[in-house]
Amino acid sequence: MTAHLPSRRRALQGAAALALLPNAAWAAVGGLPTAAHDASSPEWDRLSERLFPGRKLVAGQSVVQLVVPLRAAYGASVPIKIVSKLAQKPDLYVRKLWLVVDKNPSPVAIVLDLGTEVGQADFETRLRVDEYSHVRVVEELSNGELHTDSRYVKTSGGCSAPPNRDALNLIGRTTLKLPGELRLDQPTTADVTVVHPNDTGFELNQVTVMYIPPHFVRSIRMSYAKRKIFDAELDFSVSENPTLRFNFVPHGPGELRAEVTDSKDAQFVGSLAIQAPAP
Amino acid sequence: MRRRLALLLALGFAATAPAFAAGFPAAYAPTVVLPTALAEQRFEFDLSAPLARAAREHKRLYVYLGASDCPFCRKYEAFLTTHAGELVPEFAKDYLVVDLRSSLSVTTQRLYIRIGASSLPYSEFQRSIGDERARQLVYPSVWLFDEKAKPLMQMPAGTGTFETVPEQLEVLHLEQ
Repeated sequence: MTAHLPSRRRALQGAAALALLPNAAWAAVGGLPTAAHDASSPEWDRLSERLFPGRKLVAGQSVVQLVVPLRAAYGASVPIKIVSKLAQKPDLYVRKLWLVVDKNPSPVAIVLDLGTEVGQADFETRLRVDEYSHVRVVEELSNGELHTDSRYVKTSGGCSAPPNRDALNLIGRTTLKLPGELRLDQPTTADVTVVHPNDTGFELNQVTVMYIPPHFVRSIRMSYAKRKIFDAELDFSVSENPTLRFNFVPHGPGELRAEVTDSKDAQFVGSLAIQAPAP
Repeated sequence: MRRRLALLLALGFAATAPAFAAGFPAAYAPTVVLPTALAEQRFEFDLSAPLARAAREHKRLYVYLGASDCPFCRKYEAFLTTHAGELVPEFAKDYLVVDLRSSLSVTTQRLYIRIGASSLPYSEFQRSIGDERARQLVYPSVWLFDEKAKPLMQMPAGTGTFETVPEQLEVLHLEQ
């Protein structure tokens, strides 16, 4: 059985709640005040001023839309979908993207540095959401405009049976796949998954009663035929076994390649040979 | 002597068998489903009869899986009791409540759900209905089904996100 932790430092309490460990208290307190999806928060007010000092953020869904369920199955694995309304053309494209969870101990979950080889800046991933919180996306366009959308997410939990953790001997195994059809010169969807515990550093090992040291994927650099698709900086707010669904534009045969670095500076590579589709 | 030994063995079994008491408040008129003990310490909950009733009455099912020894279950049940005046009519409008009474010792591998001829272990059952909570069994759990056992909404693990009246109504109204 799990139980809510007694009052400890807020960050520790919150992040311990993220863990999908046997008998870990992985759930945050529910029943908190509801907020509108497009509302701000004190955390966001502070963070946005630090990330984008003096700059105007245009809220709404005309350029970017965030799709997140109000209640996800598990707070440790909340599905996130970013839908960009803008094609990646040289004259105007999304050049940077931030994904933020206001109330997480480390709120900036992912920062993506993009080029036009993405084709369409749509992304899917899974995040840990510590407690009732806004999740936000901010896109910076190549003309300098900032556009944002947000969703309010509710997470909590209960008494849990131990989960099955993935085999730790496979840490770093990086796989790439194309879930759909390969389309030459068109945005083609791909998935990159890294087997990794993405330990937050706040999870308590119930056997040793010691906190498990932080160990998480720090960056993923994606390329196709040696051309950059995106560089991603990640944090432990990304769920265990980080996965990103993204697009890229294949212009011919080539290697889809992911170069991964984690917080212990271990490096991993995954690749997928792409053949040109039959005419 | 033999009788005393038999009594001791019986008492010993009773002490190790899970208790399936406590559950959804009576004010909601739940249909209580106790598990059938299968071999190898497996426990099966049969949803066939509640689904048949839901079909007859054109209602949805609010299936609650609670454990007799789970504090979060008691918390949710206490919330429901406190707000029965507001919530019972809301539940009664569209839902039949089904109260699956379990125990924390009934873990992912030991819990089976039966619908008609099909009896599946928890994770397989969850996968078969497209529920994302396949990986980890959390007490309490709630499913919302139509009369054909089709999930109406992806529910969260636990009930902590709907322990206020407005949030419980969000869930009953399928607001995502």
